[in-house]
Amino acid sequence: MSEMALEVSHLTKSFKGKAAVRDVSFTAPRGQITGFLGPNGAGKTTTLRMALGIIQPDSGQSLLFGKPLSMKTLDRVGFLPEERGLYRKMTALDALVFFGRLKGMKAKAAKTKALEYLERFELSDAAYKKVKTLSKGMAQKIQIIAALIHEPEFIILDEPFSGLDPVNQSLLESIIREEAQGGRTLLFSTHVMEHAERLCDRIVLLARGQKVFDGSVDEALGTVPRQILLESASAHDLSQLLSPFGTVESQDCAQEGHHAWRVTLNATSQVQDVLKACVSAGVDLIRFEPIRPHLHDAFVQLVKASPVPNSAAEPVEREEV
Amino acid sequence: MRAIYLIARREYLSYVATWGFWISLLALPVFMVIGASVPILIENSKPVRYFTVIDETGRGYDHMIARDYEESSRESVRETLKALEALYGEERVAEALTAFDREDDLEAARQGALDALNLQDGQAGLSLPKSQEVQVDPPARDLAGLRPYLVGEATLATPEGQKPLFAAIIIRDNLERTDENPSPIILDYHSTNLTDVDLSRKIRSILEDDLEDEMLRNAGLSANDINTLNNLRPEIRSYNPAEVTSADEEVTTADRLPFVVAIFMAFILWMAIFSVANMLLTSMIEEKGGKVIELMLATSRYSDILIGKLLGVAATSFTLMGSWMVLALGASVLGHQALMQLDPDLAGLFSEIFTVNLLLPAAGYFLVGYLMFGATFLALGSLCETLHDAQSLMTPIIFFLMAPMLLMSMSITASDSMVYSVASWVPFWTPFIMMSRLPHEPPLWEIIGTTAVMLVTLVLVMWGASAVFRQGTLGQANAESVKLFFKSLVSRSKS
Repeated sequence: MSEMALEVSHLTKSFKGKAAVRDVSFTAPRGQITGFLGPNGAGKTTTLRMALGIIQPDSGQSLLFGKPLSMKTLDRVGFLPEERGLYRKMTALDALVFFGRLKGMKAKAAKTKALEYLERFELSDAAYKKVKTLSKGMAQKIQIIAALIHEPEFIILDEPFSGLDPVNQSLLESIIREEAQGGRTLLFSTHVMEHAERLCDRIVLLARGQKVFDGSVDEALGTVPRQILLESASAHDLSQLLSPFGTVESQDCAQEGHHAWRVTLNATSQVQDVLKACVSAGVDLIRFEPIRPHLHDAFVQLVKASPVPNSAAEPVEREEV
Repeated sequence: MRAIYLIARREYLSYVATWGFWISLLALPVFMVIGASVPILIENSKPVRYFTVIDETGRGYDHMIARDYEESSRESVRETLKALEALYGEERVAEALTAFDREDDLEAARQGALDALNLQDGQAGLSLPKSQEVQVDPPARDLAGLRPYLVGEATLATPEGQKPLFAAIIIRDNLERTDENPSPIILDYHSTNLTDVDLSRKIRSILEDDLEDEMLRNAGLSANDINTLNNLRPEIRSYNPAEVTSADEEVTTADRLPFVVAIFMAFILWMAIFSVANMLLTSMIEEKGGKVIELMLATSRYSDILIGKLLGVAATSFTLMGSWMVLALGASVLGHQALMQLDPDLAGLFSEIFTVNLLLPAAGYFLVGYLMFGATFLALGSLCETLHDAQSLMTPIIFFLMAPMLLMSMSITASDSMVYSVASWVPFWTPFIMMSRLPHEPPLWEIIGTTAVMLVTLVLVMWGASAVFRQGTLGQANAESVKLFFKSLVSRSKS
């Protein structure tokens, strides 16, 4: 049995001569939550579509559970696409049963599971309502259930949080965690870093159609230069004192007679060395605050640092041909 | 297969479980009954036309017209009585005819016939015909005096109460006879109804016959000679040499019926395919607008969705047509049984209307035609975001689809024309044109050839539609792409 739920190798796709995805390879290890991140138009949706065989890549290949794509392997996957909708005239329950059955469930089992999920998603009252009468958020939750109803081993969610209010985002986060605790593999795309940071074991970052990072969240955070905020009541010139440790910038300070600095550490410098230097120099420190890096910073940093492809054409998420 | 079945089932139920479907199902037979009944209702509800004739020539044309009307009224009553033999037996009808002929007054004669049959007028839906045009004595001798009656300011006493005059015909001598207009008389027809010309035509026809007879009499011909002359119309007997077993039997209406029914079925086929393909188009556009497609694609193949949709809508249309066919067969059987008692010949026609020889090819042509047009419309639907987009793409296809209809209507009497034969090789037209040609027994090689070309085209269309559908569903191609494609073809051909 393959250790990977998904392995994509060298996926490349162009639309009308414009590159959308360039030589993207990554894996989604079993039992882990992988964040598939990238700015708008980075090629995330196109990559996911190719990974599931919805569109054919120009080159490269995708393996699900170590096997080439087939309806049998796809039945083990639950996919929430970015472009989503439901049959408006169907009831929520009928729509879920329909999608469950498309994934090979028996009608009765699909109905039981649909009712179970509706309750879990706090949508029991909507079961017999037509989709067209539901709010956008409720419809989105129905679509998420449609991706989960057959209890797939591998769940791919393309921008699952967009369109949900904070309460439902939180609910979805807890459901993603529950699914992961249940041994399922999850891969979800988002450009909201907070969700990824809270949920993901590892992330794959795409920018301009290329993969620019693939690793754990900690590794991603490690790419962000560490910073320290300092404030002193003494007249020491910290820019001179701390320049061996990195770049020191003077900051505005609200308190009269106080001085503030931001130190961006070199790769070799340590936070405790900076503190030691301050103490040794008798700096009257009012504030010494190492700044915790966020995935957002890592994201911005990595995207900015990503190489501009040789081709003059800009990558596109989707292009009409 | 599972996905195809589920998609087809969902598609089928989405149509069948709606009020619109059941209304459509009932609408056709209801409208057919209404359509068939309306002309009869209009005819029956047409008020009796009271007209008067003033003969200024003094040659008694007014009396002659009255006699003619009475005689034709009597003749139609006699025909009706004879048609009732199947119901009442020859003996009783003969008694009724005798009673009818015994009375000089037409109304009394009708009543006599009804009494002989122990019937009341209108009983069991039967009534003896009455003329809808009744001649009355002129209430005034000149136009000025007649005008109030014609414009409704004055009325006449009639069996139905006070009624205005529908028309007044004044017959005058033609004082300006020429070689081009040698008629000795002129008819001045006065009526406020400018559209109903039946009465004026009938009066002219009566007078025309009389003037011809008079001329022949003046030329010295006897009454017998004139009668013979009037009946000098050669009888036509039609035979069909292809019918070896019945070469000596004349062609009957039943023999001609398959040709008419085939053309009728070709028209029905066209309408069915066109309306069903339209259903697919609108459903596809709705589905695209609802953004369900990608969710579907995560669970099924493109081809499964395409085939599932085609089958679902096909099942819907088969349900519609199957229901209509059951109704039609029921009506045919009931009509046949009812007519067997009244008119066995007419009843025979009923059993000839729908034969396996026509129904089987019709089902086959429907299936292939539906798949060709359905797949095309589905592919086009996948390229469109709105019905407006669809309209611009559909217009050339509708013209293309209209062509066999025009050809069929022009070729009803000339289905053996070269143009029609060539047109049947156009694969998109084959289902309709070959359907209408089948009773003419085209050569076997032509049937096989057109069918083969049609089936090959079907495969190509399904393949092409599947490719377009694949591009269209995910928005990788749209209506604009089609226009660009054709523009590039045109510019390529120019260069």
